[in-house]
Amino acid sequence: MKNSVPENDEKLSRLLREAKVDASLPPRFQEGVWRRIETEASPRVKQPSLSDLFAHWLGAILPRPAMATAYIAVLLTVGITVGWAQANQTNARVKSDLSDRYVSVLDPYQAQHH
Amino acid sequence: MKRGLLILVLGVVVAAAAYGCIYFACTTPARNMQKGERPELAWLKDEFRLSETEFKRISELHSAYLPQCREMCLKIDEQNQQLQKFLLGATNVTPEIEQTLLKASRLRAECQTMMLRHFIQVSQTMPSEQGQRYLAWVKQKTFLPSYDMSEHH
Repeated sequence: MKNSVPENDEKLSRLLREAKVDASLPPRFQEGVWRRIETEASPRVKQPSLSDLFAHWLGAILPRPAMATAYIAVLLTVGITVGWAQANQTNARVKSDLSDRYVSVLDPYQAQHH
Repeated sequence: MKRGLLILVLGVVVAAAAYGCIYFACTTPARNMQKGERPELAWLKDEFRLSETEFKRISELHSAYLPQCREMCLKIDEQNQQLQKFLLGATNVTPEIEQTLLKASRLRAECQTMMLRHFIQVSQTMPSEQGQRYLAWVKQKTFLPSYDMSEHH
């Protein structure tokens, strides 16, 4: 039994030497292997949530002087624009109401409430 | 983080303040117009860019016209009540109904003549271009067929 092991090893070694691999590797096999190795080796990065992003923006980005100035300027512009647009709407509504009122005061068939 | 939060809140406050100031400033003339004793005349002055003299004259014409208009309103009310009385339970056109309808159409013509006379007087008090614009606008508002009628046909 003891003598058969080296004999088998020798046989196996001979077989392996004589063996020929016919199958060809798939295209870009080597590149794929390296890519898989890299992916496995690199530490997994957790996708930040929206609240994480907001906290980062609030704590690190917004306090920068340029960013704070831009932020205030944008909100100031928004406030002015919305205020102006709504004031225009209100003015148009008031003028329309008053013009209707003028006509209804003068035309007995449109409103009889003198 | 604290500084960021402060800037965030400051931005919102700045936006709200800007909105309030602009809205308040831009609507002040309209609010003043509404607060007046005769807001419709204040509107007329603003819309047709009347001078103080023109406005004073138009206000006088307006005040002189209102009692005639009031009287016409009473006549129209009376006419309507009479017509309603005749129409109540009517199954055909009686001579009374026909008579009342004729009177109503005469009253309408009288009323429209009175209005048109007033509108022309007012337009002549304004600068020529504004007067023409006023007359075109007021005729459209009072003499053209109403929207309701045109929608039905």
